[in-house]
Amino acid sequence: MDAASRPAVVIDNGTGYTKMGYAGNVEPCFIIPTVVALNESFSNQSRSSAKGNWLAQHNASVMADLDFLIGEEALMRSRFSTTYNLSYPIRNGQVENWDAMERFWQQCIFNYLRCDPEDHYFLLTESPLTAPENREYTGEIMFETFNVPGLYIAVQPVLALAAGYTTSKCEMTGVVVDVGDGATHVVPVADGYVIGSSIKSIPIAGKDVTQFIQQLVKERGEHVPPEDSLEVARKVKEMYCYTCSDIVKEFNKHDRLPGKYTKQWTGVKPKTGASYTCDIGYERFLGPEIFFHPEIYGSDFITPLPVVIDKCIQSSPIDTRRALYKNIVLSGGSTMFKDFHRRLQRDLKKIVDARIMSSAARLDGDVKSQPIQVNVVSHPIQRFAVWFGGSILASTPEFYRACHTKAEYDEYGASICRTNPVFKGMY
Amino acid sequence: MILLQSPSRFLLQILQDRLLSPDKGVDLDCHSVEFDDVRYHIQFSMRNPHVVVLSVSLPIPPPEAIFFDGLPFGAIEAIKAAYGAVAQILDPPKDGYNLTMKLNLSKLPSDEGSTRFLCKIPEQRQALLVKIASVREVVLGAPLRFVLKNLATKTVAPEMDQLIALVHRPKESFFLLPQQAEKVTVIYPMRFQDSTDIVLATSFLQELIESRRTAGLNNAPSCMWSPSPPLELKGAPAQALTANAGFVTFVIFPRHVEGKKLDRTVWSLLTFHAYVSYHVKCSEGFMHTRMRRRVESLIQALDRAKPESEKSKKSVSGKSFKRLSLNEAHSNSNS
Repeated sequence: MDAASRPAVVIDNGTGYTKMGYAGNVEPCFIIPTVVALNESFSNQSRSSAKGNWLAQHNASVMADLDFLIGEEALMRSRFSTTYNLSYPIRNGQVENWDAMERFWQQCIFNYLRCDPEDHYFLLTESPLTAPENREYTGEIMFETFNVPGLYIAVQPVLALAAGYTTSKCEMTGVVVDVGDGATHVVPVADGYVIGSSIKSIPIAGKDVTQFIQQLVKERGEHVPPEDSLEVARKVKEMYCYTCSDIVKEFNKHDRLPGKYTKQWTGVKPKTGASYTCDIGYERFLGPEIFFHPEIYGSDFITPLPVVIDKCIQSSPIDTRRALYKNIVLSGGSTMFKDFHRRLQRDLKKIVDARIMSSAARLDGDVKSQPIQVNVVSHPIQRFAVWFGGSILASTPEFYRACHTKAEYDEYGASICRTNPVFKGMY
Repeated sequence: MILLQSPSRFLLQILQDRLLSPDKGVDLDCHSVEFDDVRYHIQFSMRNPHVVVLSVSLPIPPPEAIFFDGLPFGAIEAIKAAYGAVAQILDPPKDGYNLTMKLNLSKLPSDEGSTRFLCKIPEQRQALLVKIASVREVVLGAPLRFVLKNLATKTVAPEMDQLIALVHRPKESFFLLPQQAEKVTVIYPMRFQDSTDIVLATSFLQELIESRRTAGLNNAPSCMWSPSPPLELKGAPAQALTANAGFVTFVIFPRHVEGKKLDRTVWSLLTFHAYVSYHVKCSEGFMHTRMRRRVESLIQALDRAKPESEKSKKSVSGKSFKRLSLNEAHSNSNS
């Protein structure tokens, strides 16, 4: 049986979570944290030991080679044992540690999806700012180590747009606001081609929300053990945070009815096993607020997300702007806060309306401009929209023709992965 | 992870989710593929919240391996024995699948009540879920289990003493040769697609034979590797006798299949090829790690050898040339 008759494997490696599964399904089979717990004790020991003891050295490194865990298991193991070190292979949307990444993929394929990589085409994703060298590296690992028959490296925002395929009619023009754990990108896409020169990135992402919550909790003096506080902050962010419409009103609401709005968090101290509780109050809405008022988090970057989106659209070609305003698509786990899209749409609409008003005033009402429609699209699968887009794309018959194949790789080398056709349209 | 695990993580996760949050109102329709072309299709609809329909498709058998109604010998009995009242086999199976089972989750064994409070699946239940998730072992391993069970009780089944072919990969089989009542010989023709894989697998297998000889492994099944078909395969069809990575032979004695060891032995023998191919991939990855480390150290050496002036050319601030300070300019003009 030919590999093209089996469903392709779709793996979306994000900074925080990795989504993986088979093409044609609606949901990814597994969503696991992108983390590897490595046992470094073996390899360090073998390096320092005498050279004569070849066999021991050999055995030690062979064992260490397979002695690692990924995902939730890695987090669990590192909490209770000191021999394993956590390593996050992806930082800010870019792969940093290729050794860890290769191991991570190995476990994804053999332990989680349990497939033979020679039997399936693969679709991987990358952020729009990935360097060509990184793409080559990915290709090299996939073809050399895993012997995949075909590989397609897709750009995340394009997939996020494709994910809207079922919710509305297929609209391949739009702005994708991708707020992941490690990186936030605002990417305009016109007819499936990325407008590379207008991509805007901001240094505030899900990780910063977590850190901000951690900081707030710490400053208020809640009794959270320090080694656990980041985990608690992450859980609080995922479970309790929401977006408010007005920050002052929200403070008042919380002060008036603390019983209704304050949540309790109960945890167990990892060292002693004793349980503790802490209150979760203002940080429920202050966490996501850093996208709209970045100045409350830090002084390095103070442009709110809606302004960045507006700037991004204004720098795009003039004939695409209306269509871009009309289709602003959210993707990534950190856009999952309740009412995030409403707030974004309202703020953006305000900016656009103000500009139209001022230009109308300048022209003294001689020219009547058409109102601009601002529409922020949100759908229930936002968290893994990129994966879902990949799943749709990889289940079409055209996908197999667009892939780089093993034969091509053997003929030309890793340079076939260097360029991505979706960037070529606008240059 | 050194050995492949028997239960499918994907099936187990879905079944556990189902039990932990039975009120989550979502229909489910999922396809999944495992190594060696075993496919699963799991379906669940809101109208009937306790019933999960699980279909399994097996690798296409080669002509020498015998299937009855699309299933290996003894599979139906094995399913009934393993799952009891929970599973009901639908006949005929769904189109394109070899087996369709209706799993009734309300019939799972339960320990008195307290399950919802603890938000944890009780042990007995968990054991059965794991068993369901290892449906592959139950179905594909049925004939192998039958033979090994006979070995454990040292009985000879009638007409079971000649060469038996069992499917383990699409259109590929491995062979069993029960010899009297005291041992079973298992022979694998090893085939790989890629030329690098063939070389790695061959040396992996030779290493395996070597390590079998070390003192600690005296009780392990004896194994042999040969590039040509061993004598035991005399009666096998010709196309089964071509293997580009040689033939591996294990001899299983009754002590290897006593009691609880039986399950593990069945699974390990059934997935031996997948095991080898997993480790071939792992060692390729390991070699790449080493190569990357080497390249890094070489680049470092090169960087150290670079003359100072070249470094200053690529300064971060974008200045493409070295600005001479007054002093240097002076000394330059002097020379």
